[in-house]
Amino acid sequence: MKRAANVLLGVVTSIGGFVEAGSISTAAQAGSEFGLALLWAIGAAALLLAILAEMSGRLAALSGQTFVSAVRERLGFHYQLALLVAELLIDLLLLTAELGGVAIALQLVTGVDYRWWLPLVAFTGALILWLGTFAVIEDGFGILGLVTLAFVVAAWKLHPAAGAVGRALLPSLPAHDPVRYAFLAVTIVGATVSPYLINFYGSGAVEEQWTERDLPSNRITAYLGMGFGAIVSMGVLVVAALVLHPAHISVHTFDDAAQAFRPVFGKWGVPVFASGLGIGCLGAAVEIALNTGYVLAQGFGWTWGADKKRANAARFSVAFTLMLFASMAVALCGFDPLSVTLVSVSLTVVLMPVVVLPMLVLMNDEELVRRHRSGPIGNTLLAAITVLGAVLAMIVVPLEMMGGGG
Amino acid sequence: MKLVDDLLDRQVVDRNGQKMGRADSIVLDVHAGRPPRIVAIEIGPSALGDRLHPRAGRWVRACERALGIADHRPVRIAIDDIQRKDGKLMANVASGETGAVNLEQRLRALMRTLKWS
Repeated sequence: MKRAANVLLGVVTSIGGFVEAGSISTAAQAGSEFGLALLWAIGAAALLLAILAEMSGRLAALSGQTFVSAVRERLGFHYQLALLVAELLIDLLLLTAELGGVAIALQLVTGVDYRWWLPLVAFTGALILWLGTFAVIEDGFGILGLVTLAFVVAAWKLHPAAGAVGRALLPSLPAHDPVRYAFLAVTIVGATVSPYLINFYGSGAVEEQWTERDLPSNRITAYLGMGFGAIVSMGVLVVAALVLHPAHISVHTFDDAAQAFRPVFGKWGVPVFASGLGIGCLGAAVEIALNTGYVLAQGFGWTWGADKKRANAARFSVAFTLMLFASMAVALCGFDPLSVTLVSVSLTVVLMPVVVLPMLVLMNDEELVRRHRSGPIGNTLLAAITVLGAVLAMIVVPLEMMGGGG
Repeated sequence: MKLVDDLLDRQVVDRNGQKMGRADSIVLDVHAGRPPRIVAIEIGPSALGDRLHPRAGRWVRACERALGIADHRPVRIAIDDIQRKDGKLMANVASGETGAVNLEQRLRALMRTLKWS
């Protein structure tokens, strides 16, 4: 019974953790510009993330090691350094985007310019990180994140044609602007398959001391959680497709995306969107900052753990705090949060092969995953994801330069 | 014992179960006509810096001096004091008596002074 409750909590947490600035903005842009046509990209991206998260959880449950720690031991310092630099850069940009997302949500509700909210948002994040345990941080935001189910309710109330939604779950060629279509499809993948999610998931498994007995619940949590999370993102896309696309309104700001919810929820449309955006982004911000501590501590062998007294893991605590305030400083420079989001997801795509390739090595290492090594299907999938990641990495910048970036 | 698989980059834990860092480099005793012998492991960012490039090592040492944490770094632990257990290197030393956790201790003291612990 307790195990079932933990699985349910894990799934709920994954739903809440899935929705953040990147997934909301790319889904809203895709829906407003191409109708339902890019629904399949969200489904495909969620499947990729679920596969990688399951492997990260399996690695942690069987070896007690996270992805970062195992990369250092198996692939050496030089590879780890490349991964570390890439991950810190992506985390800095993503965190900047998430802090901006929370501040924009507050601006939508209060009308006060988002830059005034940034220090308060960063301070709130730091307070949560310094006072909360891992369970409070992960489960708390997971449960609060259920407010994003309002996006699914909104889509449901707009009565999309079931046949059209079903057809959109299969990849199709665009009726216009193929470069922009391809760019949005790639950025949806980048917004979903964030490296921080993969390492954060495994770090959580180590924090919660998963063992071989937790492998079934790991699989359920990864696939069901990411699957339901994808449905929430799809809700945003469907709403934008049914409200903004027919009116030829493209999403250039989060405010544009919020307007899509007015026809459904009336005067509550913007506050409902702002609640989902704000909570989703704050949860993601806290997780990304924490992940910075994880990445550095695990890579260099420091003491780490969100359940430890902060002074007992001092370097870990200082690392996540510094990253939080460094991102706040970048956000205060006045970069548009939506633009930062798109740059960060593009960079995620560029660096995807560096992150995915080690999985192929780690999941075949008998010392790490014992008899649960990847079989032919798992290895084929991983190889396919690595090749796909490399292809996406090579095309994302040319697509952006050819005008796909909007 | 395999140098790269079993020693290099492995987590090092002290006799009290505290994490000390990773085996950032390995010290070998090399004499003509005799096989090389592992003498010690080294822990610390300057050892990592040297692994990357000698200039990087010098730069890291300068940073450590500027931060006032350069004493006894990089930490060198004799191979005779190390045992391999569950993929980790168990060092028969107390981390507090080495320079491995200088920065951790400095930050810990600061947090306790500020009552942030």
